[in-house]
Amino acid sequence: MAHPPRHSAMLSLSNSGSSANSDKQQPPQQIQHIANTGLRVPSNRKTIYDRHLNRSRNAEISRSSFAFLFGEMVTYAQRRVTGIQDLEKRLNEQGYPMGLRLLDLLYYRTITSSTSSSLASSSTSTAPPNRPLRILPLLHLIHGPLWRLLFNRPADALEHSVSPDTPNEYMITDNDPLVNAYVSVPKEMHMLNCAAFVAGIIEGVCDGCGFEAKVTAHNQPTELWPGRTIFLVRFGESVMEREKVLERAGIK
Amino acid sequence: MSYYFTILSPTDVPLFNIAFGTSKSGGDGIARFRFPDTAQYMNQFIIHSSLDIVEEAQWMNGNMYLKHIDTYPPAAAYITAFLAPSGARFLLLHQPPQLPSTTAPGNGSSSLLGSSFSSSALSGGSSSRASSSSIGANPTSPQTEEAVRQFMNEVYENYVKTMMSPFYRQGLEIKSPVFRSRVTAAGRKWL
Amino acid sequence: MSATKASRIGEELWKTRIDKVNAELVTLTYGTIVAQLCQDYDSNYQEVNKQLDKMGYNIGMRLIEDFLAKSGVGRCSNFRETADMIAKVGFKIFLNISPTVTNWTSDNNQFSLVFDENPLADFVELPDDGRAQDELWFSNILCGVLRGALEMVQMQVDAHFVSDVLRGDDATEMRVSLVRYIEDEMPPEEE
Repeated sequence: MAHPPRHSAMLSLSNSGSSANSDKQQPPQQIQHIANTGLRVPSNRKTIYDRHLNRSRNAEISRSSFAFLFGEMVTYAQRRVTGIQDLEKRLNEQGYPMGLRLLDLLYYRTITSSTSSSLASSSTSTAPPNRPLRILPLLHLIHGPLWRLLFNRPADALEHSVSPDTPNEYMITDNDPLVNAYVSVPKEMHMLNCAAFVAGIIEGVCDGCGFEAKVTAHNQPTELWPGRTIFLVRFGESVMEREKVLERAGIK
Repeated sequence: MSYYFTILSPTDVPLFNIAFGTSKSGGDGIARFRFPDTAQYMNQFIIHSSLDIVEEAQWMNGNMYLKHIDTYPPAAAYITAFLAPSGARFLLLHQPPQLPSTTAPGNGSSSLLGSSFSSSALSGGSSSRASSSSIGANPTSPQTEEAVRQFMNEVYENYVKTMMSPFYRQGLEIKSPVFRSRVTAAGRKWL
Repeated sequence: MSATKASRIGEELWKTRIDKVNAELVTLTYGTIVAQLCQDYDSNYQEVNKQLDKMGYNIGMRLIEDFLAKSGVGRCSNFRETADMIAKVGFKIFLNISPTVTNWTSDNNQFSLVFDENPLADFVELPDDGRAQDELWFSNILCGVLRGALEMVQMQVDAHFVSDVLRGDDATEMRVSLVRYIEDEMPPEEE
């Protein structure tokens, strides 16, 4: 057998008994050399698996705490890059895994809540939520439930590119992105849009759902909304091709 | 019934796997695959060969729980799938016990295996070890599908808890013994 | 000012004067920051602790203005009062938690903050690499925040965590010691 399986199933079964608690008696030096012994846990044995996923669902924190943290995140990132594009790329990459997390969290909550409001706009049943199969339900998921989870309100607009050359481009608008409030951008970086972080979150959600996409954030101020930001979602060719196939097959 | 459960990343990297047996109808929770020597290799092979079907079904049906999607008659193995929205695939292989006429399950006698058995299982044939309505007997019955749904949902909940930790990156093997014990417990509870 | 009075002020401010965001956004963003540092510093956790403390220090220096403006409280008459103000007003209005002030030394110059809740660490499991639980102080940014904020009001303190439930300890406890009152109007040291 050229490639023996990575894990022995039987071995794994016997491992399941090794409780993290028993490691507590061992001095740390020993733990270092034993792979996969598990983490120490408090004497009440509480781990992340004991914490209900909805516990912080409606919890709130001060907005300035977020602004301070996010500001430090941007400042720190800035020290490690050479230009605005680089910085935006880095912020995007930090948002991406958050998008994947939020996606699973959203669906978990819809499965478990009895007053199941469907995530995908097309479905009106109370059955468990559907994964988006087409572009529109995916974008509605982002515009509505994702934005509400993050910012307690839906995004302000969702549009499709009118140009026949770019049918793969969609735009999500936020008139007043939380991430741009309070974050003071140095003068030489006035083109920077910190919402690149949110663009990364969106990209993570798209990718997680199987819709390869590039998402970028662009300043589009108006008189009324100086921080107005457009998130430009550009889907990959494979997505557009699949979209045609699914359309022909009558999948919504 | 013997089970092999695996979580695959969107790029087919195995993140977690576990084998166990039924705890229903007096089962002791220990897996007894028909070819114990090669079970692990075979199980992974069978699961991977069902991935094409998963990928097709994934775009025809927006449910997270896709139910029974594939059967591999030579090993009387049934595959059930659940898709996490962020791209991980949960796959459960179940293999009903040997025909009652053969010797004790799991001892590796292999002369009577194969499609003749699988057809009896598909038609809901009961064995002496479990009644026909029990999930141990019929891998495609509505009762089984419901039990597997509950199992998958419970695993999903624990999977999301794993994902939520900032130190977990997609594609990393899930090594937590607590996670493993949670999956084991879910198997014991529902399967 | 008594601890109960401080609690009342904190509650009142939280209800009436504070703009709020979803706690999970903050939790996940902080987790992202720490995970990124661990990656950038190649899991050199001592260095990560240092960086977190530095970030906190920068935040603390600016946060104190926000705190004074919102709370409208005046100068504390002694370090015990300062401790209550930090725990019952400061933590309340910024993180919506009220750690317990305890373990005073007899000279009233050192106390502990014990955290029953810590929104920064929700969902977090430290890396199972045999080191993180011994070396990383996940919430270390809070130490820097205290240091920075108090320095702006002429108090030089030392703040560090002595235990953390994420490390398997039974409580999350930060030790805060008054080093000295800064008499002169010196500019804060550059960090």
